[in-house]
Amino acid sequence: MSAAVTELDDDSPVNPGEHHTHGLSDGQYFKVFFLLVGLTALEVSTYWWDDIFNADTKKIAVPVLIILMVIKFFLVALYFMHLKFDSPLLKRTFYVGMIVAIFVYVVALTVMNFWSDSGTTEFNNPPIDPPAPFCATSSKPGPCPAG
Amino acid sequence: MSDLAYESLEDVEFPDDIHTTSTGISNEKLGMWVYLASDCLLFGGMISTYLIYKNRPGEIAGLTGNTHKVSEYFDIPFTSMTSFILLMSSLTMVLGVNAVIRGDLTRLRLWLTSTAVLGALFLGGQIYEFTNFVVNDDLGFTSNVASSAFYALTGLHGVHVVVGVIMLLSMLAISFGTRIRAEAVEVVGLYWHFVDIVWVLIFTIVYLIP
Repeated sequence: MSAAVTELDDDSPVNPGEHHTHGLSDGQYFKVFFLLVGLTALEVSTYWWDDIFNADTKKIAVPVLIILMVIKFFLVALYFMHLKFDSPLLKRTFYVGMIVAIFVYVVALTVMNFWSDSGTTEFNNPPIDPPAPFCATSSKPGPCPAG
Repeated sequence: MSDLAYESLEDVEFPDDIHTTSTGISNEKLGMWVYLASDCLLFGGMISTYLIYKNRPGEIAGLTGNTHKVSEYFDIPFTSMTSFILLMSSLTMVLGVNAVIRGDLTRLRLWLTSTAVLGALFLGGQIYEFTNFVVNDDLGFTSNVASSAFYALTGLHGVHVVVGVIMLLSMLAISFGTRIRAEAVEVVGLYWHFVDIVWVLIFTIVYLIP
């Protein structure tokens, strides 16, 4: 019964004969789930690392968190969303959307000084001392001299 | 698929075998993936906006009700629990998809119900968190730009969860009809896992990274 189901997509006119399965067994999904739970527990533990190690662990914790997040992202996408077993067209559709999103928003964060100035709380405030208007006839910066 | 298999799984319809498209993928499934790819852009924008403003709540007199960062009020143990609940709902969803592929409608209904209940629990947690921020911490949507970005991002995710729960309950209702399309359950599952995957990003980027 299940063997007939795993052959569902084999008649694909784009990739004739290509083998598609419909994912993992229940037991294998449980293994992926427990792996995700373990990774999440490790992620959450970083919240207490400063207290546990009695030191500033931010420089280690942030890269660890990003790596764990990427691993979890791909575990869900590849196994739970069946991307590993599905048509290459679906993979390309999803990955192109994701890559374009990452590119566009890295550019946006860069132009908003996120990497160098994300801690300035006054960022949104109006300037306290507005710069003096530029005078085209003077070589010095600032307003045009009187007269 | 052979006729024998249809006799065995008479309540389950597999559209891949009934019609073919020029891509070899059903329109519903391809449409959902295109939608999810576009949703990456939407959430990417919201996450970027939060990142830009999270440490810049602003101090404009008269405009800013609360100059504190949102991150000062996070309850990480509580949010970790709701994240675990959403992660568990992804497992129950995928078990539901496996059940419908096997033609096991009883387990399909069990897993769909479990997923919807877990999704509702996650939403309850989010409502509790928002209420706590507004009532106890005086941090509303318009308190400062950082809080606006936070509520817009997590609220949009919450709306996605609400839509997902409605889709799950619709699938549950349809499963009591004469026939259910296995691929329809798979497409709803794709949406649900995407909601989970977005929370994986939000939980790390918004809550855990200092």
